[in-house]
Amino acid sequence: MVKSTSKDTQALFHSLRSAYAATPTNLKIIDLYVVFSVFTALIQVVYMAVVGSFPFNSFLSGVLSCIGTAVLAVCLRIQVNKENKEFKDLPPERAFADFVLCNLVLHLVIMNFLG
Amino acid sequence: MSKLLIFLTLIPLLPILTTSFSPENPSGRRVLVLLDDLALKSSHSVFFNSLQSRGFDLDFKLADDPKIGLHRYGQYLYDGLILFCPTTERFGGSIDLAAILDFVDSGHDLIIAADSNASDLIREIATESGVDFDEDPAALVIDHSSYAVSNTEGDHTLIASDEYIKSDVILGSKKIEASADIAPVLFQGIGHSLNPSNSLVLKVLSASPSAYSSNPKSKLSNPPSLTGSAISLVSIVQARNNARILISGSLSMFSNRFFRSEVQKAGSPTKHEKSGNEQFLTELSKWVFHERGHLKAMNVRHHKAGEADEPTIYRVNDDLEYSVEIYEWSGASWEPYVADDVQVQFYMMSPYVLKNLSTDKKGSYFTAFKVPDVYGVFQFKIEYQRLGYTSLSLSKQIPVRPFKHNEYERFIPAAYPYYGAAFSMMTGFFIFTAVHLYSK
Repeated sequence: MVKSTSKDTQALFHSLRSAYAATPTNLKIIDLYVVFSVFTALIQVVYMAVVGSFPFNSFLSGVLSCIGTAVLAVCLRIQVNKENKEFKDLPPERAFADFVLCNLVLHLVIMNFLG
Repeated sequence: MSKLLIFLTLIPLLPILTTSFSPENPSGRRVLVLLDDLALKSSHSVFFNSLQSRGFDLDFKLADDPKIGLHRYGQYLYDGLILFCPTTERFGGSIDLAAILDFVDSGHDLIIAADSNASDLIREIATESGVDFDEDPAALVIDHSSYAVSNTEGDHTLIASDEYIKSDVILGSKKIEASADIAPVLFQGIGHSLNPSNSLVLKVLSASPSAYSSNPKSKLSNPPSLTGSAISLVSIVQARNNARILISGSLSMFSNRFFRSEVQKAGSPTKHEKSGNEQFLTELSKWVFHERGHLKAMNVRHHKAGEADEPTIYRVNDDLEYSVEIYEWSGASWEPYVADDVQVQFYMMSPYVLKNLSTDKKGSYFTAFKVPDVYGVFQFKIEYQRLGYTSLSLSKQIPVRPFKHNEYERFIPAAYPYYGAAFSMMTGFFIFTAVHLYSK
């Protein structure tokens, strides 16, 4: 049983990797952007665990900027993905414009809350 | 005619006004001396001459003279009072127990000498000052091992004592010595005891541990009530208004005979040429009449470090500097007081800061400290009470405010990673839009 599960996981990883290789480049760029922002958020959480939460508003503002960026990027990816049936009629330019406006609002809020 | 008479009688009062006791001149000049017997004027002349040579005007009067009075028209005529009248039952004129107590309460000094047949009036004055004489009216202090050796067969009531209080300010810095050793002081009279809980009374000369107080002519039927070192022979009182009182159980201690006599303490081989009485009592009278140990504090100043004017409010965590000037009266002028134990407190319900003031030896005391991290209404307090010195009690109120909203640090160093993360997200977003728009 053990051997078959390990072979299954290996087969699973292979199929995931090959399927991922087939995605278009612009979606891969968005994925990279999401990973970058989540990674920055994790660094901040680790820093807070070490040093303590003294300027708590600054901590929340930093983490929120990272998570908010990730969320907006994921929304953009959903709307721009051509294989997604739900957003077939939505022009990708409109999705990008929404993304830019939401990011502006997000960064305005972050700058105010950062202290 | 009557107007002229009134005018002429009022003119002599003018010099009295100019030489009166004032805070600027604490050693008053006019002293009333009440005697039982005018022969005391000559038998105690060395003591009186030492006072007169220091500038005091002594006014000798009999205790029952009907014309004596301490004050007239609401003003005190004298700055000090010496009572060398142990047997007086009632004073003449307008002086009585209440008048004497008012005199002391208004800040003037008093010397009382009692003796073996002290009247009730003298005993009451002493009790009001904090000192309790032995109740037996015929009792004297007897010491069978510390008495002064004399040619006649004595009953050991003439005692030689050298148990002085250790204080340079009260007894002067020159040690009492006739030859190499300290000369003892001769004493013959009644002893008194002090209440141990009274912090204003001090024993200047106490009896040796082998002394006791009883009637020398009768046999002891029960143990004496006053014994040993609890018997005080000479005491001083410094009242809270800085009036000073000297109480002695022996009038003959001040006499020329005792001043000039030689002294040999029983059991000790040394014979001193001169007893320590003159030096002891002269130095003590200097202390009583404020020629030593009288302090004055003035010019309290505080300011922020680096500024010169005094602000009305401080902020938490400010650096401030405090200075005060303390002088001591030397009998003729104010000299700078030098000590290293004057402390200032920054006080609000309890002292948050307690610092020793450093001095420049010219009377100026100063220190610098940081305002504590607490806001409220504080006081700069100096409470200085030292043995033999007048007490200094100064306090100056000053409020301390917390930070204004724009006095905090602008950027908190602990939050730099969060600032960095937020800005990196913004640049990342900018780069991402560029890449997204211009890639295929």
